[in-house]
Amino acid sequence: MLQSKSFVRKTKQGKVLKVVREHYLRDDIYCGASICKVCDTKVARLSSSASTILVLDTNVVLNQIDLLENPAIDDVVVLSVVLDEVKNKNLSVYNRLRALCSNTLRKFFVFSNEHHKDTYVKAMVGESPNDRNDRAIRVATNWYQRHLGGGTRVLLITNDKENKRKATDEGIFAETVETYVKSLGQPNLLDLVVHPTSEDVGMEDVEDLRPSKRKVIYIEHKPMSEITAGLHRGIYHQGKLRVNRYNPFEAYVGSESIGDEIIIQGRGNMNRAFDGDVVAVELLPKEQWHEGKSLSIADDEDEEEEDVHLVPNSADDAPRNRDTIQDSSSTVNPVSCRPSGRVVGIIKRNWQSYCGSLEPMPMPAGNGGIAHALFVSKDRRIPKIRIQTRQLGNLLDKRIIVTVDSWDCLSRYPSGHYVRTIGEIGDRDTETKVVLIENDINSRPFSTQVLACLPPLPWSVSTEDLMNPNRQDLRQLRVFSVDPPGCRDIDDALHCTALPDGNFEVGVHIADVTNFVHSGTPLDDEASQRGTSVYLVERRIDMLPKPLTEDICSLRSDVERLAFSVIWVMTPEAEIISTRYTKSVIKSSAVMSYVEAQARMDDSRLMDPLTTDLRNLNTLAKIMRQRRIDRGALTLASAEVKFQIDTETHDPLDIGMYQIREANQMIEEFMLAANVSVAEKILKHFSMCSLLRRHPSPTKEMLEPLLRTAAAIGLDLDVSSSKALADSLDRAVGDDPYFNKLIRILATRCMPQAVYFCSGDLTPPEFHHYGLASPLYTHFTSPIRRYADVIVHRLLAAALGIYKLPTIFQDRPQLTSIADNLNYRHRNAQMASWASVELHTLIFFRKRPTDTEARIVKIRANGFIVFVPKYGIEGPVYLTPKGEKGGDWVVDEEHQKVKKMDGSISYSVLQMVQIHMEVVEPQPNRPKLQLTLM
Amino acid sequence: MVGLSVGEKHFIQGGIAQDLRSDGRKRLTYRPISVETGVLAQANGSARVKLGGTDVIASVKAELGRPNHLYPDKGKVSIYVDCSPTAAPMFEGRGGEELSAELSAALQRCLLGGRSGAGAGINLSALIVVEGKMCWDLYIDGLVVSSDGNLLDALGAAIKAALSNTGIPKVNVAVGASADEEPEVDISDEEFLQFDTSGVPVIVTLTKVGRHYIADATLEEESQMSSALSVSVDRHGHICGMMKRGGAGLDPSVILDMISVSKHVSDQLIAKLDSEISAAEVDEAES
Amino acid sequence: MEFVSPEGLRLDGRRPMEMRQIRGEVGAVSKADGSAIFEMGNTKVIAAVYGPREVQNRGQQMSDQALVRCEYSMANFSTGDRMRKPKGDRRSIEISLVIRQTMEACIMTHLMPRSQIDIFVQVLQADGGTRSACINAATLALADAGIPMRDLVTSCSAGYLNSTPLLDLNYIEDSAGGPDVTVGILSKLDKVTLLQMDAKLPMDIFENVMQLAVEGCKAIANYIREVLLENTKQLEHRRGI
Repeated sequence: MLQSKSFVRKTKQGKVLKVVREHYLRDDIYCGASICKVCDTKVARLSSSASTILVLDTNVVLNQIDLLENPAIDDVVVLSVVLDEVKNKNLSVYNRLRALCSNTLRKFFVFSNEHHKDTYVKAMVGESPNDRNDRAIRVATNWYQRHLGGGTRVLLITNDKENKRKATDEGIFAETVETYVKSLGQPNLLDLVVHPTSEDVGMEDVEDLRPSKRKVIYIEHKPMSEITAGLHRGIYHQGKLRVNRYNPFEAYVGSESIGDEIIIQGRGNMNRAFDGDVVAVELLPKEQWHEGKSLSIADDEDEEEEDVHLVPNSADDAPRNRDTIQDSSSTVNPVSCRPSGRVVGIIKRNWQSYCGSLEPMPMPAGNGGIAHALFVSKDRRIPKIRIQTRQLGNLLDKRIIVTVDSWDCLSRYPSGHYVRTIGEIGDRDTETKVVLIENDINSRPFSTQVLACLPPLPWSVSTEDLMNPNRQDLRQLRVFSVDPPGCRDIDDALHCTALPDGNFEVGVHIADVTNFVHSGTPLDDEASQRGTSVYLVERRIDMLPKPLTEDICSLRSDVERLAFSVIWVMTPEAEIISTRYTKSVIKSSAVMSYVEAQARMDDSRLMDPLTTDLRNLNTLAKIMRQRRIDRGALTLASAEVKFQIDTETHDPLDIGMYQIREANQMIEEFMLAANVSVAEKILKHFSMCSLLRRHPSPTKEMLEPLLRTAAAIGLDLDVSSSKALADSLDRAVGDDPYFNKLIRILATRCMPQAVYFCSGDLTPPEFHHYGLASPLYTHFTSPIRRYADVIVHRLLAAALGIYKLPTIFQDRPQLTSIADNLNYRHRNAQMASWASVELHTLIFFRKRPTDTEARIVKIRANGFIVFVPKYGIEGPVYLTPKGEKGGDWVVDEEHQKVKKMDGSISYSVLQMVQIHMEVVEPQPNRPKLQLTLM
Repeated sequence: MVGLSVGEKHFIQGGIAQDLRSDGRKRLTYRPISVETGVLAQANGSARVKLGGTDVIASVKAELGRPNHLYPDKGKVSIYVDCSPTAAPMFEGRGGEELSAELSAALQRCLLGGRSGAGAGINLSALIVVEGKMCWDLYIDGLVVSSDGNLLDALGAAIKAALSNTGIPKVNVAVGASADEEPEVDISDEEFLQFDTSGVPVIVTLTKVGRHYIADATLEEESQMSSALSVSVDRHGHICGMMKRGGAGLDPSVILDMISVSKHVSDQLIAKLDSEISAAEVDEAES
Repeated sequence: MEFVSPEGLRLDGRRPMEMRQIRGEVGAVSKADGSAIFEMGNTKVIAAVYGPREVQNRGQQMSDQALVRCEYSMANFSTGDRMRKPKGDRRSIEISLVIRQTMEACIMTHLMPRSQIDIFVQVLQADGGTRSACINAATLALADAGIPMRDLVTSCSAGYLNSTPLLDLNYIEDSAGGPDVTVGILSKLDKVTLLQMDAKLPMDIFENVMQLAVEGCKAIANYIREVLLENTKQLEHRRGI
């Protein structure tokens, strides 16, 4: 073991420190080639038949990761110097590369050249770190060639001209990515190659073939040093750019230095920034604030139109309210105080791969089969992306994935490259895959390591479980469950026993998932990553493998199952006298659907014990519910729809609003109560590391659209507290029976989303759950399909002293990151569900043009947005044909009305209209749902 | 302190009188000196100097600071000495503080010149990054590891060696910053500003024992001293600083005599030190 | 942060079970009765022993055994960030105490009644594991001073990061906030004389980590024995025996 020292210097808070680190060089780092005679081949990854071994330069990894992920590229040596450089430059590429290296199907070998005694190089005097690393790569390549001998060709792949030249001078085989891929003879692979920008390889600019048309479209980004200086001096503001989901020409940058959001209007001001990029923004002069539209370079080919979509369920999903009608008539509107700005530089890119399709175009003639095409992402926030392809004919009717590579200020659109094809546009399977990919949902089958963690099947409760002193035998209780029809992952069941003293013992029994999912196992890691099960219209993507989800954990009837129970003693007035928590064994006596349970309760002839239990529970639930509402809990309404799916074709047969019954509310009430009880218990024991759920109060700004609509129809809403809001919602009754529900739906979409958090990160007042008007809340009742509940189960078990708390709970940053991941997964799962419903709505109406009634929810310059209660969707209705601005319609913003010039017809908000729904295809392969006024 | 018997005292004094000291040296001969540079990887410069049984380490650390508003064109240097208890049990706890303070003050006087920095052995203007705004602050720390007399000369030599071993990172100042702001700087990772240490003086202490004075006294000899004169002399034979220690008075003519002798001794010391330093640098580069 | 790469290398290139390079040298301070320098990677300490000698403070004299005293100090330049701390801060006092107790346990104090032994340790460079390095240096210095000892005390630390037990943490690994178990053993007697841990660690993992630290101590003990043997040979040689 040899030793050498590396000297690094570092600055910290402006202080200059000389940091010295030891750097050990070793002779036990092996080459990873299975043919090697010298090295230990136990860890070898490179195949024995390989005639060529590739060594990658850093720039190749950074730019060509999509190509590397293609199985055609294999037998690759990844040097640790390259890994380190990639890690510093782009963490997501690093993670992808790491995944490749650990994938047993691929032959990627990590060679720790920096610690190998023969391949370590010390920086020479005056040598830049970059040059030193390039040299290290060449030294390592050379070492491999000499080490493996002439039988194997060791090829350095680099797009750095200088590095390639030096390598060739030193007698190393070196090629650019392009030439190497060409030599493989698979033309389709060439689409994956990112075309180097002109600095790297002196190729002629291939991006735009019409140089005469090239002019500067965007302002040059400022150099990093200037940005840092500007940020320091407060001229520029740093923040993450978020593009308006409903208007891609408007973006916001939350700036800490200003303490407000800065609005960025138009692609010109956004200056090539993508959603999620960290950018530096410069404020525009005050007189330009909020009149941004005229500054935008929105060109006609980019004209945006709104699509029909599902009704949003919270403020985070709802379109931003402002300036929808501003550009037509609002000259009197005083200059808004919201600051506007423009992007001057991008600090950190958030480029990813995007799902979408190519813009329809005719096949170009000639040109060697290479065509330039524009890619349109499904995600409207993403601009069109220019790509090059050799398989245009093949791709035009496909959903494809494309990655962005660069965007210079001369091109209107960023350029990127094709990654892979998902399938045909419009095909249900393809579109479902798109939904999954877009929402980053892992729908791959569970790996063998994960499945290895499952208990052997068939599984049944063992005597050990019954003997366990921590597990109470509750099999004698009459436990039952009520769920949606066809539910197979039953994670909750109830019992209700009348006690001799007139009180009731009520138990909520939750599937004991943590008995099977142990902390730190691959199964646990996988579940933690997935975070939640995802429910699409025609399929379910499980968080846990099927045997657990549908059998071992599922509290099915007439089988013994392990449970985690919360048991209360309640007075007939539903006052909780005592609460206890225990692990248990139960045997469910009945599995009912909501409809069945409701039918039993309603059928006065039935007097059997089960029905009596149901009625008792329902009575208690009603009292609890009322008490909760009195405390200020909001009764919100959402427009959930339910499909009836053809079992053969999986096509939707019917569609309708999901009906909420008393039985639903009854179950909900006890689940809420159990969650609250558990939240109290775990917080008492682990005040710093409990996982809770909070619902922040909506801000004034969020409530603005609701208040505006209410004002327009003369309704007075008090939003000072949740209680006040709940009361005024109750009072909002019109002549129209649907009026109240409509207002509630409008209120729902003004609410922020509830989120998970770690109790140590916030102060107790912030724990509040606004919607439920509860000071504490968590998720305990669905551990089969939500990972948050799994964590809470572990916390509760530790609070009871049954198990030790896994070490992860001592690591607060880690716990916070788990909570963040859960929020992210949760939201994505929701988005995917909606997207799936939207997709099926489209499929449903494809063959069924329908007339129905709709409600106007918002007034637009050339029409209005309607809500279709029956199908839970929302979309624009145009009064004038597209393109003609305004026409003879006048908007009255204050009263939310649109009137014909001559006053003959007028439409106002919340008014009922008859519409016609039909699927049209304005462009081939691009079907969309159109709403027209009848 | 060193407990000596009357016989031992006489032996030491007698030896000095006859120009044959207890360890066989002549009055003005130094003990063997050995220099090792770069002993502390974390410091910008460091050196360990052994002078017989005396063993000291000096380190130089550079930090970015603000120049004194009175002298906007000069960097700042401070010297602290610490006596480790390993050197002698008497330095235990706060026991070494008095001596440490005395040595620190003496070194500052001998190497740094006046408050304004004028006459300093180190070129303070070379430490300026942005005039009036930013400069390098050099912290020179001396540590006495083993003490066998003549600490001041050994520390002086160690500091000189450490300074010649010092590399200061190059600083690039961002242009365009206006006058009233903190300048934005970028510290280079590799380029070092090497110090010109040719002007750094050495310190020669002459200790008066009986009627004679000796150079490089050991601990035993120091216990017999009546007074001592430390003179710092640079390469050109210029006197950079001076101080007298010990209670007994000295005749001015003797002082002048001692100064000229120390100038003479310093020539040899500088030559010896230079060759030791360059040998040490070669050693360091090779290891 | 990743402290152990998937390839099984730590940030400085060691494997989890490997110690840093160690170096010991006897006789660094000529005036002391015994002294030594001990380095563990970039951590570098000097120890000097004075005694056995007359007790300075009569009140502390013990008629049946020797008085052992210890002082730990850090040089101003020993850390990356230069510090200027007054002597005798709480941390120094605590470490002084730990070293004293550990060394006292192995010195045969009953053979030297009414006398005093001073151990001074000075940290020249700190890069994690200073406690251990000080104890190792003190052992060498005591041996150099010829003070009778039951056994050689050696010390080493081990930690637990990225779910891996790591031997001999350096400063970066130490500042990661994970558990740090410092163990001192009497190598021949196989007895643990020092055990310190900060942060939490489950019992079963603790066992592994501590075992690892004990292995480290044993390796250091072997090395120290070699150093002493080599030193004795040199002395032999010089005396022409």
